[in-house]
Amino acid sequence: MSTDYPFEEIIERARKGRDAIYPYKDEISRFSVFGADLHTQSRRFHTLDDILITAPQFTPHRLEKAYDLVFREPFFRDVDLTREIGGFKTKLPIVQSSMGSPEDWNAVAPYSAKVCAKKGMIYGIGENVAATWGYDERTDPSQPCLMDRILSYFEHKIDGYGGVVIQQNEEDAQNELWNRIYSDKRLTPYIEEGLIAFEIKGGQGAKSGIGGEKIVDRDTALRLQDKGYIIHPDPQEVDQSVYERHSAADIFTEEILKNRILKLRNDYPRVRIWLKTGPYRDLLSVIRVATEAGIDAVSIDGKEGGTGMSPTAALQHLGLPTLACLNAVRDARAEGIETSIIISGRIHDGSQIVKALALGADAAAMGRPFLIAANAYPLSKLFIGKEFYKFKWIKKLARMIYPPSERSEKLIENFLETVELEIQLLISSLGKYDLSLVSDEDIAATSIGLAQAMNLKHLYGGFSSSGNIDRPLIQPLDQLE
Amino acid sequence: MAQLSNKVTKKSDFMKELQDDIFKVISDPVFQSVYEVYDRISQSMRSYLTDETDFLEFKPPLIGPVTDPGTRGAKQTEIDFYGKDYKFMSSAILYKQLLAISRQEAGFPGRIYFFADNLRMEPLETANTDRHLAEFIQVDLEIVDADHFDAMEIAEGLVRQVYKDMTESQELLTPIWDRFRDSWPERGLAPRKELKVPTKPFKRYEFSEAVGLLQSHIDEHPDVIPEIESRFGIKANDLRPDMELAWEYEWLLSSLHDEPFFIHDYPRGARGFYDREYDDKPGYLMDFDLIFPHGYGEAISGAAREFDHRRVIPRMKESGESLQKYKWYLSFLQQHGRPTAGFGIGLERTVRYFCGLPKIMMALPYPKVPGVFSP
Repeated sequence: MSTDYPFEEIIERARKGRDAIYPYKDEISRFSVFGADLHTQSRRFHTLDDILITAPQFTPHRLEKAYDLVFREPFFRDVDLTREIGGFKTKLPIVQSSMGSPEDWNAVAPYSAKVCAKKGMIYGIGENVAATWGYDERTDPSQPCLMDRILSYFEHKIDGYGGVVIQQNEEDAQNELWNRIYSDKRLTPYIEEGLIAFEIKGGQGAKSGIGGEKIVDRDTALRLQDKGYIIHPDPQEVDQSVYERHSAADIFTEEILKNRILKLRNDYPRVRIWLKTGPYRDLLSVIRVATEAGIDAVSIDGKEGGTGMSPTAALQHLGLPTLACLNAVRDARAEGIETSIIISGRIHDGSQIVKALALGADAAAMGRPFLIAANAYPLSKLFIGKEFYKFKWIKKLARMIYPPSERSEKLIENFLETVELEIQLLISSLGKYDLSLVSDEDIAATSIGLAQAMNLKHLYGGFSSSGNIDRPLIQPLDQLE
Repeated sequence: MAQLSNKVTKKSDFMKELQDDIFKVISDPVFQSVYEVYDRISQSMRSYLTDETDFLEFKPPLIGPVTDPGTRGAKQTEIDFYGKDYKFMSSAILYKQLLAISRQEAGFPGRIYFFADNLRMEPLETANTDRHLAEFIQVDLEIVDADHFDAMEIAEGLVRQVYKDMTESQELLTPIWDRFRDSWPERGLAPRKELKVPTKPFKRYEFSEAVGLLQSHIDEHPDVIPEIESRFGIKANDLRPDMELAWEYEWLLSSLHDEPFFIHDYPRGARGFYDREYDDKPGYLMDFDLIFPHGYGEAISGAAREFDHRRVIPRMKESGESLQKYKWYLSFLQQHGRPTAGFGIGLERTVRYFCGLPKIMMALPYPKVPGVFSP
């Protein structure tokens, strides 16, 4: 007789204690690539896979495009992917997520900066980079510092496109990172040109409402304890090589968010102000308040995103899935809110991006795909994302054989090219050649429950020329499989 | 040094003089007169505060675990204090609030002031404003059981006192004015013949009134924006009713006046967490600026303070501040919080105004201008 009682889980907790609840504690970035699997193990919510793109036979826009092109049939390459997002112009509706200080990412981040710059894309820089790896002087000679990322971007930037989005966490704030950037002579021309945004961090996908969690070495633990972080175990009492660092969840009310945005606008009139928020149930209010306060862009991370060092309980049970976040975006659009909105959370190919655009997002942000692509060396399939990869010596060996290098640049470029191509192919299939024409008429939900909940067409019924459901849905909400 | 008189408005020339031969600049008799005015103004302020209005001068702290976080866009300076991160004061505002209340509770008049050294790593764009220094002195005062209007009374009295004392020093001012007179128009400063004590009370504008005044002036004279941009070499900010006045608009408003005036009731996003919000006018602060006329701009910033920790904490979170750092201050408010108000007046800005200096860096022998490397 077998039973599904979670014997193993309880044994694991008993043997490992708190370590058991952070599955990716050892290898924050590469190993947490794994994070995405957790929700598929027992699938309990819908994802973008539950929506299909539906192309029409009749394509009046394609005909129009043929006129515009002065009489030739349009190709997928004619799909114009440029648009304005959060005060920047971008050549692709893709933003490189604001990823922070984890070592594996930091090592390749400047290569990604270069690619994003050359592609005319927006490039995000997450928290704690300057505090960990230095502002303009490297704390570790083998690791790039914050300015390496920023300057790598601006040295390769193409005219008229792109921008850099920079977060600061509590420790960065104590070091006044934004003030430092704002008064940095080297960056003045870019600030004047409006190419820099500061991003308020209001949340992260896999751990919405939970503060920051990180593993730090002993010196850092002692230093941070002094600055008011919670360190476990107490480094004054227990001497070990690594510690958990917890930072408090930030406190927001509608009033606090509104005034924080206004204050940043006031303090830094020449930068754009972005808000990164998480999969919260009051997302619509967040978008409303931010819009009212004049935010330049709201970036929403669905629960499938931001998995770095998140407790299993949060990965599995906390927050709205990406698709549900997109429903909040739909609600916002229905109210006439035009603020730039970016969605993230396990988005990794062109089809998902086209669906997200059809649901009202202006762009998708991706994080993990950049990290994985940058490390996609020969044989990497054998270890990246595999459980044994948590062992440090394997990682060290891999890095010895394939040190971070210019090759990462080409790998990211290849990856992005595939996504770009997919977006163009799929949008052209709709007979559209302009991003702004993509809408919910171009997609349909595979289940009636989803169609009803999101007010979308259902795949098996209700195709009308107007794009609305033309016969009543009489079935009850279906059971999610 | 004589040949400097006509070129002085070109920023680079004066900076170059400073960098190349600082002794030559400092020993110039005209600049020696400026330094004398600096001294007289300091004395004038001290005598008004200590002798006439019952204030007690304290030596301000130079460093501390926190400093004023409300200085927009300016970076604070950290100092390693035996392993702890301390800040050099960008303003000692929190410390003066505590001092004033402590004095009142001990049975003395709750009125205190500092001649406070402040260090603010201002953004580079302020190098063109002619009125920002990284290092400057602020005469910083605080009054217990007072609101911003009480503080404005003191501000008015203090500034009028300096005017009175300086009109008696016209002989000292005239040669300085003569040196710089030619460069006033180019730096947007109105011509002056002699100093006159301004009439009382000073004009007072609510912030929204001031923005309205500016907007209608801009509507009538649309050329003024490109003119500002070329004069100061900047891109003008938007004029918005919910944000702090950018300094270029403050300059514009200042240039339209020939006597000092107040702007009060700024919108809430504009200031630090310690400026008190009106109970009956949410979104607006009980605060004020005093602006010198003739294009010289802001001299004073002041306000009534929040003193209830339950109101201060959400305001701190709006600035993204960590509560932990302010534990000592919040505990003090919880136990001893009561209404206070105060302001700080920029000493070098005052000297610049009275001397008619095109640039604030000329008010000091060793000026520190954002991004300019001089002794």
